[in-house]
Amino acid sequence: MGSLTSSLSIAVQSLNAASGALQATNNNIANANTPGYTREIPILQEAAPTTDGTLSVGGGVALEGYQSVRDELVTTQIQQETTAQSGANAQLASMQQIEPTFTTSTQDIGTDMSALFSSISNLSTDPTSSSSRTAVLTAGQNLATAFNTASNTLTSQQTGLNTQVTQDVSQINQLTQQIAALNPQIVAIKGTVQDGGTLEDQQNQLVLKLSALTSVSVTQSSNGITLSTGNGTPLVVGSQSFALQTTTASNGMTDVLDQYGANITSSLTSGDLGGTIQTRDTTIPGLLTQLDTLANQFGTAFNAAQATGYDQNGNAGQNFFTIPATVAGSAGSISMAITNTSQIAASSDGTSGSNGNLVNLSAVQTAALPSGQTPVNAYANLVYQVGSLTSSANAESTATTSSLLQLNDQLNSVSGVSIDQESANLITYQTAYEAAARVVTTIQAMFTVTLAMGTAAAE
Amino acid sequence: MRVTSMLPDVQYQMQQSQQALATATEQVSTGLRVNQLSDDPAASANMVLSLGVSANVDAYTSNISSALPQMQTADASISSMVTSLNTAVTLGTQGATGTNSAANTQAIAAQVAGELTSVISQANTSFQGVFLFGGTESTTPPFVAASTTYTSSKGSIALPLASSAGLTNGSVTTVSDATTGDTFTFKATGGDTVASLITAIGNAVSAGTLSAGTTATINASGQLSIGTNNAADGIVVSTNDSVLGSMSAASGTAVANAYAYVGNSNVNSVQIGESMSVPTNLPGSQLLISGANVIGSLNGLITALQSGTTAQIGAATTAVSAALNYVTQRRVPLDNTISQLNAEDTSLSSEKLTLTTQQTALVGISLADAATNLSQATLDNSAVLAAAAKIMPQTLLQYLQ
Repeated sequence: MGSLTSSLSIAVQSLNAASGALQATNNNIANANTPGYTREIPILQEAAPTTDGTLSVGGGVALEGYQSVRDELVTTQIQQETTAQSGANAQLASMQQIEPTFTTSTQDIGTDMSALFSSISNLSTDPTSSSSRTAVLTAGQNLATAFNTASNTLTSQQTGLNTQVTQDVSQINQLTQQIAALNPQIVAIKGTVQDGGTLEDQQNQLVLKLSALTSVSVTQSSNGITLSTGNGTPLVVGSQSFALQTTTASNGMTDVLDQYGANITSSLTSGDLGGTIQTRDTTIPGLLTQLDTLANQFGTAFNAAQATGYDQNGNAGQNFFTIPATVAGSAGSISMAITNTSQIAASSDGTSGSNGNLVNLSAVQTAALPSGQTPVNAYANLVYQVGSLTSSANAESTATTSSLLQLNDQLNSVSGVSIDQESANLITYQTAYEAAARVVTTIQAMFTVTLAMGTAAAE
Repeated sequence: MRVTSMLPDVQYQMQQSQQALATATEQVSTGLRVNQLSDDPAASANMVLSLGVSANVDAYTSNISSALPQMQTADASISSMVTSLNTAVTLGTQGATGTNSAANTQAIAAQVAGELTSVISQANTSFQGVFLFGGTESTTPPFVAASTTYTSSKGSIALPLASSAGLTNGSVTTVSDATTGDTFTFKATGGDTVASLITAIGNAVSAGTLSAGTTATINASGQLSIGTNNAADGIVVSTNDSVLGSMSAASGTAVANAYAYVGNSNVNSVQIGESMSVPTNLPGSQLLISGANVIGSLNGLITALQSGTTAQIGAATTAVSAALNYVTQRRVPLDNTISQLNAEDTSLSSEKLTLTTQQTALVGISLADAATNLSQATLDNSAVLAAAAKIMPQTLLQYLQ
């Protein structure tokens, strides 16, 4: 009688184990497409054997719990690659918006510069022609506008990136708060079942989102994970998160401060925030400096050539372009200083029919500016840099995307849900459950027979 | 390796193949391999330089198109002058035979005077508003009939101009002398007065710029009067000084067959190549005055025919003949320039073609390559989609049903 009861107990345990395994399978199937979900496996263990006299038989199966199948190394690599990808994407997005301004069109600086010199050349055939003089004035205006447009594109992009810095910092602070809040819960769960399960999945997803914003260093401790930025600024320690702050610098740009108020802007070099800061503080200012230098030096050279001649009224040539005294901001503010066609200093002898000074104006095209390059070479160099920066960011983005895809494949091979595998498990555990149920039925029949022994029915 | 979902890989491959398809389609539709700077930064930068050179070539070609008809017109004018001078030489030779009656000689003189008028008319030829032989003073006819006396519009008996009256700073007064062929220019500076101008004109006479006897005075009418003391010496005076007002020839002082040159001797040049410029005008002073005084020689022949001896007519004819040779010589560089313009135009067409080829090589793509790329991209995309359609529905569940 005692062995039947023991067998029934084993069968019930088996039912529980199969049912629990089915539950894990069910959960895996349900979350097959849930981002960040780590597949769970049931932890089945042999129960302690039962001893009856000299006989010892197996005690059945026990469902010890569930284990999420993780690969911490690959997870860390994905976080790092995500950081690199976001940084490249941030730079690429900005450069792709800057790129069209420097692409050859009817309104780019190179085309308008050529048009100005062509109009001057055309004026040389008839320096008294009002239509040719109007063409020079219009070409000068178009060139100034092209400089203004290019400068405005760069500065407005810079302003947009500045706003992005504030948004990124705000998101980082939200994420670190959520991550810190999960730490004690995960620690508590791990104290009982060894695995953080869903909460750990959630935390990993939040860390991944954080990695997309900035480079983070993750270390495990007894209080949960500890997060810090690439330069060591703590973000999360146990249940406590440390918010980054923002402040407006003297140049109008937003700086990032750690919880002690120290400026860590320059140390943020990766992730969306790092890419944004890199583009805002290094890439765009570099391009702006070259553009301003070109506008300033070109305007100065052109004004100098204009000053060597005489206008149509016999007066000494006055400035053609208005340019600021300092190089900074020259491209944004360069404008036409003269407004009347008669003010073009084509003449070298004071007569209106002379074109002698046009050769000096034309010479600006081929003479080296103080930068050491001719205007068109300086512009071509700028075009190359914009193209090269965009191309590099694109290549980096493509490479990291491909790498990330492989890493995710690698992680999924460990942690991902395979519908095929789960389908097979479903059959396995269903069969196990049916078998255990058959055992219960058999034992029940045996109990019935046993209980009926010696009764009329039995006779 | 345990394979779970292939969906991310399939999606990535579909994106890649669709991107390749979009790129191939763009190449076919634009004919360009480089549509953004980042497609090929070095080619994009070289394209900027090449387009700059192309724009210059276009400008040079345009300059040739503008300069050529102007220079051809000038050449045609000089050709007419040569014809007139040849006629004048023939007439002079005819007049120097000594067999003509006085009436015939006078008739020949009148014909030579007609040729002089014709030469002056050609010398004052304009092309699209530009006087071709005025130097850079190309907005007014360069050769003007001269008079012996010019007077200012300002000044009267009641309110005569004072020699101490200050002139406008920067104003310009010019006296062009038909006899010397020179022009005296007085540009007033601060402190200059009418007396300064009078003194300067005296100095110009001493220097030989103006004919001997040319003087400037305040006349009895209170006006500034600038004149010669020889009925054969003519001048043309102009000023933009408001103190003097306009200068005009005194009535009845015109000198027959005398023309003063009011242009200048400056030459405009036009660039027709990277380091190639050509002069586009021939100042009248160089053509008709400085080398051999064409107008003076014709004037001398007229005078000789009207009142000279046979020997004097012969000498004057020789002078005209020398002037003819000089003008013919001066025409040669002009003709050479016209030839140069035509040759350069051909050269620029060739250079433009080379540049276009270079630009196509830099950023363009051949239709064959573009079509091949598109075909390959279409095939790749179809293959990826077909593979995805085959793979994605494949799960164990399908076989368990």
